[in-house]
Amino acid sequence: MDLALTDEQKVRKQEFYDTCKELEKKRPPNFLGFETIYEDDKCWEYNLHCAREFAKKGWLALGWPPEYGGKGDMMDRVLFAEARGYHGVPGVDIFGVQMLAPTLLQAASEEIKREFLPPIARGEAMWCELWSEPNAGSDLASLSTTAIRKGDEYIINGQKTWNTGAHKGDWGFGVFKTDPSARKHHNMTFILLDMKTPGITIRPIPYLDGHAPYCEVYFDDVHVPAKNIVGQEHEGWAVVNLLAGFERSGINEIMTMIRGLEDLVEFCNQTKRHGQPLAKNPLVRNRLAELACQLEAARALAYRVADLQNRNEMSLMDASAGKIFFSELGERFAFVATDILGPYGQVKTSRWAPMNGVWERMFHEHFITTVSMGTNEIQRNIIAWYGLGLPRIR
Amino acid sequence: MDLRFTETQEILKKMARDFLSTECPKTLVRKLEQSEEGYSPELWKKMAELGWMGLIIPEEYGGMGYTFQDLIVLLEEIGRNILPGPLIATITGTFPILQAGTEEQKKALLPKIAQGELILTTALLEAEGVFDASGITAKATPKGNDFVINGTKLFVEMAHVANYILCVARTTAGASPEKGVTVFIVDSKTPGISHEVMPTTAADKLCEVRFKDVSVPKKNILGKLDEGWPIVEMMLRKGAIAKCAESIGAVETCVEMTVAYSKERVQYERPIGSFQALQHKFADMWTAMETSRYLVYEVAWMESEGLPCAKEASMAKAYVNEVYKDVAKWAVRLHGAIATSADHDIPFYYRRSKAADIAFGNTDFHREIVAQKIGLV
Repeated sequence: MDLALTDEQKVRKQEFYDTCKELEKKRPPNFLGFETIYEDDKCWEYNLHCAREFAKKGWLALGWPPEYGGKGDMMDRVLFAEARGYHGVPGVDIFGVQMLAPTLLQAASEEIKREFLPPIARGEAMWCELWSEPNAGSDLASLSTTAIRKGDEYIINGQKTWNTGAHKGDWGFGVFKTDPSARKHHNMTFILLDMKTPGITIRPIPYLDGHAPYCEVYFDDVHVPAKNIVGQEHEGWAVVNLLAGFERSGINEIMTMIRGLEDLVEFCNQTKRHGQPLAKNPLVRNRLAELACQLEAARALAYRVADLQNRNEMSLMDASAGKIFFSELGERFAFVATDILGPYGQVKTSRWAPMNGVWERMFHEHFITTVSMGTNEIQRNIIAWYGLGLPRIR
Repeated sequence: MDLRFTETQEILKKMARDFLSTECPKTLVRKLEQSEEGYSPELWKKMAELGWMGLIIPEEYGGMGYTFQDLIVLLEEIGRNILPGPLIATITGTFPILQAGTEEQKKALLPKIAQGELILTTALLEAEGVFDASGITAKATPKGNDFVINGTKLFVEMAHVANYILCVARTTAGASPEKGVTVFIVDSKTPGISHEVMPTTAADKLCEVRFKDVSVPKKNILGKLDEGWPIVEMMLRKGAIAKCAESIGAVETCVEMTVAYSKERVQYERPIGSFQALQHKFADMWTAMETSRYLVYEVAWMESEGLPCAKEASMAKAYVNEVYKDVAKWAVRLHGAIATSADHDIPFYYRRSKAADIAFGNTDFHREIVAQKIGLV
């Protein structure tokens, strides 16, 4: 057991932190977490600015092979994610950089890699994902949107939903039914498509707090070049599973919470209630300390996942456990923080809102991590079935 | 970064697992719990031959010279199997001798500890039952070349079989509770010492130890006069990490036993482990185990490297305390009625989860340390 970073890693980590600290200073005041980039033009501009800054340093291609412009390794990706999380800086497209790029590197043809990787590394192409459908959520494999091959094109018809930032995306990746007569899991293809293609209609879905980071996307005879696929035709399910395994440590989210705790501690030290700092209240101390312990446990497990990923020894169980734990910690954190703020816990960003209303926002936003990327209930199934070998009723 | 065990650690782990499963079956654990001594001298001797008491003692004092991190690996196995007896009390007593002992004290005690010839324990808590210095009221007053100790200590593990007791006593009324506390190495046969085993949840032989005009030579002061509290803090910190390691081993066994049972136990014509009501609980237990494990490894690494880790050690203890109790509780619940029987093995773990929680500071005690360390005024 050795948790030490090498001297080179320490230097790079410092550079990641320094750069993110500088970028944090330029952050628009209404930026409250990465979802806001999809809701607010200033935040989107800021996201693009950060992306360009990172691209200049080659940090959007960390861990890629050098022939595609990559540098560093998986551990650098983790350290970079940590710095961005702590300083609350966007600029790394979770769909393009974090999910799609490693998938392309493992599963795409040389032609596709050469076409799609460079714009991702330059921070120019922004992506969205096209997975869920109204009747295919956790049971994604039961999707029904079709992409029927006609000559050297696919023609897509149907509907996708819960597509984060689809209205901002230049490109989308998703799975579509290409062989409706084939059996489940062998009937879909992983397709890349230009979101400006005629026949695509994008509608924002109002989230429960009134913001709209998600969309639903309608396809009406959308023509896509047949070459734009990853993996084998009709075998997109394998690509879905591959993609789901990348960047699962959660270190970015955890570091954001660690910073959130620091800010909350500062607030409790500065804010008087009953004639003394809120920090002196034994209940507040106990509850914040409990969260601090759980955050450290979450961070320790994230390093475990990162350590495994760094050696290409991905543990599905640990990744699922980490996802369950940090996302539900986010729920608890939002509840505790909004409790501690008392009546101010309900105030949205405004002159009355402590810490710019970030905790009021988190009271709604924590669902994003528990529900997306495989609900926590699905993650529990993964641990039980594939990890503990418990029988599955079909 | 590499979170895997070293080869030495893997060997230690395997050796410990094989040894304990052969030499310390649950029939023996049950017998020892009901016995007066609470440990097996034959088993103690065999463990001494394996070098366990001397694992972290440097080779120059007859030990194995392993690291604190290696010790954690052994303790995890002990927690998995359960091993009644004074091993952890002895190892915890060894920490302060290693750190604060004089050369003379080290030479006199360490080789014998490593040989399994000495059992140590620490007398810290008193009537108030608190882990901070304010609870120390036992008095040690100078008299010639001696100090004379008077007072009553409680929850002293295995004091009835210990050869030496590290007694934490008040030597002067200091400016703060932490000042004026001294640690004494007390021969348990000294006249004036009496003890009585307390009936406890885990039947782990915690004792009341009464000191009545007990004379201890000045040379038996561990560290400096009046400056013993930092030694106690160090012992509590290392002890807490050690207890966490034991706990994650126990948690692992609870998960394994319960999962295995759920695959065998058939109700409604199918194994109960096929029901999601149980599966999701297992996933939660496994998640709790895994988060605990890597938190404890992180802290053990820091302690082993000599990095400051008071905050992280308290985080680990506060976290693992709750995990162990919760997982052990669910292990009983998911077994159903069968595990509420005293004849079942799961209750050993459930009962010990409470003892582990209290040892070296319970959750609220450690959360308060965490509250201070994260910067709450």
